[in-house]
Amino acid sequence: MRGTAIHIAELVGRHRGEILAYLMRLLGNEHDAQDACQDVFLRAHRAFARLAPGSNARAWLYRIATNCARNTARGRARRSARRADVDLDTLPAHGITSPERRERLRLVARAVRALPTRQRAALLLRRFHGLEYAEIAASLGGNEAAARANVYQAVKKLRVALEGFDA
Amino acid sequence: MTTRHDELIALRLGAAPASPRLRRWLATAAGRRELAAHREALGAVDALWARVPRPIAYGSLATPIGRVLVAAGAAGIVRISFRRSEADFAAELRRRFGAVAVRDPARIAGAVRALRAYFAGERRAFDVPVDLSALTPFQRRVLLATATVPAGQVVSYGEIARRIGQPLGSRAVGQALGHNPIPIVIPCHRVIGGGGRIGGYTGGLDVKRTLLRLEGARVAVG
Repeated sequence: MRGTAIHIAELVGRHRGEILAYLMRLLGNEHDAQDACQDVFLRAHRAFARLAPGSNARAWLYRIATNCARNTARGRARRSARRADVDLDTLPAHGITSPERRERLRLVARAVRALPTRQRAALLLRRFHGLEYAEIAASLGGNEAAARANVYQAVKKLRVALEGFDA
Repeated sequence: MTTRHDELIALRLGAAPASPRLRRWLATAAGRRELAAHREALGAVDALWARVPRPIAYGSLATPIGRVLVAAGAAGIVRISFRRSEADFAAELRRRFGAVAVRDPARIAGAVRALRAYFAGERRAFDVPVDLSALTPFQRRVLLATATVPAGQVVSYGEIARRIGQPLGSRAVGQALGHNPIPIVIPCHRVIGGGGRIGGYTGGLDVKRTLLRLEGARVAVG
C-alpha cells in the first residue's frame, strides 16, 4: 500500500502540470479545469491499484482527464441553458496585444469549442501534448485508425471554419 | 474529402514526409490554396492553445520567521515570499508570470527540503535551481552577484555595485534587491548599508536580523 502511495504521488508530481494544461485547453477556462483536475487525481488515486503493471500511465491519466472533462462540460451545459461563451479572461493574458487579436482568438476558440469533444481532444493530444496515435487511442478509446480519423476530422472542420482567417 | 487532404494533414502534423504525388499537387494553384488554408487553421489553433503555459507549482513550510511560501516552474524556483496568505501569493503568481498556479507540494519538495535544512542550521548554501528569466538583465546581475555572498558574511550595497561593474550604482542595487523575488535562497539579507548599518529589507527588518543571526554573521544586528 505504501509503495502504491509513493507511485501515485510520483505520477501526480510528474503529470499534474500537463494534465491541468490539457484540461484548460479542452474546457477553455481555468476554473472548470481546476475542478476537473482535482477530480482526475482523486479518481487516479482510487483506480491506481487496478492499473496493469507496465501499462502507459500517461495515456491512462489522459483517459481519466478526458472523462472528467466530459463530465464537467455536461454539468456546465446543464447549469446554463445558454451555451457559455469562451471566456478568454480566465486564460492568461500573455501575448494579447490588441483588441483585434483578442477578437480573432475568440473566433478560433469558438470554432474549437464547436468540435465534438473526441475530435477536439484527439487534435489537442496530437498537436500539443505529443501523444502518438496509439496513445491517443488508449486515452480516448477506440483503435489507432479511429484516433487518426478524429484528428483529421478536427483539422478539416477547423480548416473550413477558419477559411480566410489571418492568423 | 480526398486522400490528398489526409496526406496534407499528415504532413502538417509532422507525421509523414510529402510523397511525390502530394508534392506535385502542392505545386498547383489548388494545392497551394489548400496548404495555406491548413496552415492558417492550425496556426490559429496553436495561437489559442499556446496561451496555456505549464502551471507554476506552489506550497509552503513552517519556519522560525513564520510560514514561507515557495513557487517553482519547470526551470526552478521563481518566487519565495512570507507574511501573507496563500491565496494572495497564488494571485500574485498568476499576475506576475501570466501562468496558472497550482498547489502542488510534490513539485516543490526539493526546495522545501533545502529551506528546512537551512532553517535547522544543517545547510549554509542552497544548491536548488532558481529561474530568474522573468527579470531584467540588471536585476539578474545584481541577484547573481548577491548569491555568491556566503552565509556568515555581509557586504554593502556599494560592494555589490562594484562587483557588477557599476561602482556608482549602489542605489539601483538597493532597489533591485528590494524587489528580489527569491529572498532567503538569494540572500539579499546579507547586503547591508554602509558603515555596518543594517539597511532595509522588504520582508521586515526583524526577519533580516533573524536570518543574519541564524547564519552567525558578525554584524551589529541588534
